Amino acid sequence: MPRILSRRSIGAALLGALPLAAFAQAAPAPTGTLTVAFASESTAIDPIKISAGVDHYFVGQLFEMLVRPNAQLEQENWLAESWTLEQSADGKPVIDVRLRQGVKFHNGDPMTAEDIEFSWQRQRDPKKSFFSHNVASVERIEIIDPHHLKIHFKEPDASFVAGGLQIWVMPKKYIEQVGEEEFARKPVGTGPWKFVSRSVKEELRLEAFEDYWHPTKRPGVKELVIKIIPEDLTRVSAFKTGRVDWIDNVPPAMVEEFKKMPGVKTQTVVSGNNLFINFNTHMPKSPFNDVRVRQAAAHAIDVDAIIKRVLFGEGERYAQVGKGSAGYDPELKPYAYDQKRARELLKEAGYPNGFDIPCYNLTTPREPNVKEVGEAMFAYLSSVGIRCQVRNLEYGAWISLGKRGRSGPPEMDGVLSWMWSQGLPGDPGTPWVGHLHSFQPGTGLGTYSYTNDPEADALVMEQRRTMDPAARAEILKKLARLKQERAIGGIPTYRPLVTFAWRDKLDYTPWPVRDYWRVFQEVGWKQQ
Amino acid sequence: MNISRRLLHSLISILGASVIIFVISRLSGDPVSLLLPSDAPPDAIEATRQHLGLDKPVLVQYLYFLGRALTGDFGDSYRWQVPAIDLILERLPATIELSIAALLFSVAIAIPFGVFSALHRGSWFDRFGKVFAMLGQAMPNFWVGLLLILFFAVQLQWLPAFGRESWSSLVLPAIALGWYPVAAQTRIVRSAMLDVLESDYVRMGRAMGVPERVLIWKYALRNAAIPLITILGVYFAAMLGGAFVVEVIFAWPGVGRTVVEAVFSRDFPVVQAGVMLTSVLFVASNLLVDLSYGLIDPRIRHG
Repeated sequence: MPRILSRRSIGAALLGALPLAAFAQAAPAPTGTLTVAFASESTAIDPIKISAGVDHYFVGQLFEMLVRPNAQLEQENWLAESWTLEQSADGKPVIDVRLRQGVKFHNGDPMTAEDIEFSWQRQRDPKKSFFSHNVASVERIEIIDPHHLKIHFKEPDASFVAGGLQIWVMPKKYIEQVGEEEFARKPVGTGPWKFVSRSVKEELRLEAFEDYWHPTKRPGVKELVIKIIPEDLTRVSAFKTGRVDWIDNVPPAMVEEFKKMPGVKTQTVVSGNNLFINFNTHMPKSPFNDVRVRQAAAHAIDVDAIIKRVLFGEGERYAQVGKGSAGYDPELKPYAYDQKRARELLKEAGYPNGFDIPCYNLTTPREPNVKEVGEAMFAYLSSVGIRCQVRNLEYGAWISLGKRGRSGPPEMDGVLSWMWSQGLPGDPGTPWVGHLHSFQPGTGLGTYSYTNDPEADALVMEQRRTMDPAARAEILKKLARLKQERAIGGIPTYRPLVTFAWRDKLDYTPWPVRDYWRVFQEVGWKQQ
Repeated sequence: MNISRRLLHSLISILGASVIIFVISRLSGDPVSLLLPSDAPPDAIEATRQHLGLDKPVLVQYLYFLGRALTGDFGDSYRWQVPAIDLILERLPATIELSIAALLFSVAIAIPFGVFSALHRGSWFDRFGKVFAMLGQAMPNFWVGLLLILFFAVQLQWLPAFGRESWSSLVLPAIALGWYPVAAQTRIVRSAMLDVLESDYVRMGRAMGVPERVLIWKYALRNAAIPLITILGVYFAAMLGGAFVVEVIFAWPGVGRTVVEAVFSRDFPVVQAGVMLTSVLFVASNLLVDLSYGLIDPRIRHG
């Protein structure tokens, strides 16, 4: 008996039922050029070559997925008009997908089920793709008709559903015609923007796609020029002098100034990143093997003060799961800042005079002021007796330290400033497989985990197999409570916020793509 | 010293640089863990490692790298998925343009300042020059760059704050980069000029009634310039290095930004191609300087 996931599909099914032409006439032809400045640059614009978060910034303007988060961070059926979760005769999961009609690629070819099957094939090849594991659970894609397909699974895979059906839609006919290299040079997708030209390290030029399928969420700007300006002050200068009309990552210290600037609009959104501090609990003599010591650390840090003073407010406190994410529980509150309690807990655990411990800090600005935040947290820990010997690491060294299963030193033998990010608003299911489940060499489980809790392991595996989003959210909630009580999988600190600024002649709403913002889905000039 | 021996030394230096960069970049961490997301399973990691050739012993990787590098092939960038050498060569002209402009700026300031300070030794100008020199050495180029942006781009709006669109885009980054060596070059010109001014041929020239302007700028400066030229080769290399920082500040599309980002993402082919090309430029500019002595001072040519 198939189960219908109506919660996700009803809204979009209604939208799909409305005649597109009725909207299409309402949308005025796009005009003018908008120049924007990003802080960092994508490398490849081929969706299967994404190797860093920033790669989504370009890919997301040109390519689309079957399901995606919208501006309100709710999953919305996108190139899929609807989808339902079913079961095959042998009990394996099947996702039945109805594709939206009338979707075209930038070269004019219509999007059909064959493109989806091709995109999956292209993405599953580990020699070409960095994301083959995202679709590894799919056994085959069965094409029923040009707008109807069934995705057959080898085994249940919740992350496939949580990740918006995981497939970037690419044009089969075009890629087969022009070849891989030409596709990388002149990418063609179904997105709101068409590729025009690119000069690496300087700019990407795009043009509004006139045949874009969505009746309302489409550019009202004819040409989009994305400049790359990594230095904060230079980017701000470019905005102030009018060379660009929209900027990414307003530096936290300047957000207040931007908010007061006449003729300028800003919006602050939550990033998909979840920061926490992790503890060595895999070595037999580690003080953090005692739950009281971990709880003491959680009570020791005044995260709110750090957000206010070090991040200038550009951070959101969270307890295990961020607001709006699967498994979010409003009842769950972060550990209160209470240094007296922290000292008591340390005393109970047998450390009345505290102890010395190495504390590893990330210095590469993967998030604004992340180094300073680490320093502040370690200072708080030291003030209750968890005396940090701070060791600074740049990104590569940091990630290599955090990873389990290396054959030799260095070993993470203390406290580590760490983070996970997955989707917006931040689905914890897949990250917890790597960051909470106990480390099992050679399986991909617990690659970055310093926790060994059989109960948590069982729940992580259960949520991983549960493809029904509502049922899975309940398991995640249970897991979050367990995580909180036992202070396992690290102590959550904050989720960074990011502020965009633009001139108010623009009518603009930020849209995300997978884990990242910065897609120009809804942008146009204000009516004079 | 003959040219062939010089060339041999240069080749050894470049080979040495290749070993150092190859070994150091591989000591610093695993690129695959940065390329793939944290939830990638071990078989995907292994497939990528094999695909990139990182599963082979380092010595084998090095010999393979060296063999291909001799033909100008540095492999494909792990992240950009295009030949690393193309990435570097595409951006190298912008870096060289910036470095030369910065060097010209520094020399254009250093020579008149140095000569003037030498001629008016102990004067207020000379003392000011010393303070100026100290300031130049004390201000890091990224800071100078930010001040220039604030003043000339934001306040006065005379020049663009970023990019590489016209000659005006070059002015601020060239000043930011050329600022640092001005001080040292001024001191070099000043002391060389002081030495030369006390030499017999200058006194002789004066006695023979050669006009002071001709004596200073034609006869004295030519000899006083030798130490400056010696050091210009080194400064050109320093400019290439300094450009790495200044390029980021001014969003200048040069090789520096590419290499710095490649270092952070452990994109070995790009780091190797970038460092090898800059080493070649470094060695070549030093070689050119050595050879140019002969043109300026015939004694060296014949010696």
